[in-house]
Amino acid sequence: MHGPDDPKEGGFQPQLRPGARFARDAASRPILMFEDVYKSYKPGSPVLRGMNLVIERGEFVFFTGPSGSGKSTLLRLLYRSETVDDGRILFMGRDVARLSQDSVPYLRRNLGVVFQDFKLVSSWTVFENVAIALEVLGLPQRLITSRVGEALDRVGLARRGGDCAGVLSGGEQQRVAIARAIVGEPALILADEPTGNLDPQLAIDILGLFEDINATGTTVLFATHDRSLLEIRPRRVVVLDEGKAVDVRAGVTPGDDGFSGYDNALPV
Amino acid sequence: MFDFSQATARRAKRGMLREWRLHALSVFSLAVAFVCLGAALLVVVNLSAIEERWAHAGRVSVYLRDDAKVADVDALKTALTKTPGVTQVRYVSSAQAHSDFSQIGGAADALAALPHEAFPASIEVDIRPDVSTADLTTIKSKLSQLPSVDDVETYEAWTERLARLVRGGVAAAGLLALVVFASVLAVVGSTMRLALQRRRAEVEVLKLVGATPSFVKSPFLMEGSAQGAMGAAVAIALLFALFLIMRSRVDLELSRMIGVEPAFLPWQGAVGMIAVGALLGTLAAALGLRKLVTV
Repeated sequence: MHGPDDPKEGGFQPQLRPGARFARDAASRPILMFEDVYKSYKPGSPVLRGMNLVIERGEFVFFTGPSGSGKSTLLRLLYRSETVDDGRILFMGRDVARLSQDSVPYLRRNLGVVFQDFKLVSSWTVFENVAIALEVLGLPQRLITSRVGEALDRVGLARRGGDCAGVLSGGEQQRVAIARAIVGEPALILADEPTGNLDPQLAIDILGLFEDINATGTTVLFATHDRSLLEIRPRRVVVLDEGKAVDVRAGVTPGDDGFSGYDNALPV
Repeated sequence: MFDFSQATARRAKRGMLREWRLHALSVFSLAVAFVCLGAALLVVVNLSAIEERWAHAGRVSVYLRDDAKVADVDALKTALTKTPGVTQVRYVSSAQAHSDFSQIGGAADALAALPHEAFPASIEVDIRPDVSTADLTTIKSKLSQLPSVDDVETYEAWTERLARLVRGGVAAAGLLALVVFASVLAVVGSTMRLALQRRRAEVEVLKLVGATPSFVKSPFLMEGSAQGAMGAAVAIALLFALFLIMRSRVDLELSRMIGVEPAFLPWQGAVGMIAVGALLGTLAAALGLRKLVTV
């Protein structure tokens, strides 16, 4: 019987060039590429229609667009809660859409996901909620304790590990969710409207946390329809419009007169 | 691996403590089912012990005619003493038989009221346990032809009846076992499905952080196993208490007469029942969660 993180179980592995032990240019490749991605829930009304997008390593990208534009769908396709109808999503060179069902958990271990509704187990303690991300990796308890402590410290919840998650405020619960997302040191963080349930000041604090995480080299995709957040932070903004991704100049919010299209063609 | 097992055990314990009412109800239901099975096994064990005891009783009662002459009886005793396989020969007169039976609890007064003649004189012959049934039949056949002998009892008919009773008991216990297995599968399977529904948020989080289906299922399987084992253990404890109460009420004289003291299930049987409970609980949980946990 293998442990939960035993490589013999056939987990997600970044794709390598045939014949090479490792890809020399792997570090310079985009971390994420969407190639002609189609997704529809109802026939005749696709949410994504041939979407192309490239995300480089270490980027902080806002995804925005009206409700139903496909922001959440995009993230769900990434962590394989949904599958594409057509096209490819390459994460670290591997097509997420073509992963076998058995490999999906290993993909998710390379991602950190934060939701608007936190998705915490309210009856568990703060520590337990964060530690679970490391327990699935089968790490020793001592290491889990130390890394959870560090993660909670990073989100400003040091010494709150013993508190029950259900009694925390919304902002604190979102910090716990962020700690859970970063504790495994994933390459990519997906945030789906993480400030949607928080007041403006708390939203800015939470955004600041994601920026701190991004500053350590982690790529962050931040889906939001809160224009105030886009205005206060000069970051790359991708607008989902009619099923396609349109890049907007950094520091310019969609709808401004200064909006100009961004060439998001895939590298040859 | 050790940390993985520890984490699983911790999660299972946490789940059971948080849903203790649900699990307690399930354990109680399983205990009732296992008590039925245990009781049937207990009856079989004790009947088997009686059968074993009487199958090797090595005893023959030679009932004498009322008009048997003393000289004939003495000659018979001498002949029997010299017969190979015979270890002891004892003459019991009508008066002595009457006296012996009058001391039996319960029916003592009724037996004492009977005349001496109602109890024939006999010669009680003890035979070595290794004497074969064929030899015993030969001895019986020869003794029956003697003029002073009225009847010869080798207790084979009783042994055969007991054997049939034991075989019936084993068959009944087998059927009960099937019923118990089915009820364990149903009870534990339903409990686990209910527990999974109640812990949907937990399962969602586990999938989100990259838990494999086996990681998600493992605490539920452990809980199913614990439920099965605890159900069987509680049943054994209940059964033992009932056994102690029953044994205190069984007439000591009757036990002596039968030649077997009431016995509880052997420890291997008790441990085996707990192991079967754990195994069935795991299987039931696995079947219950089969289609419910996907990535």
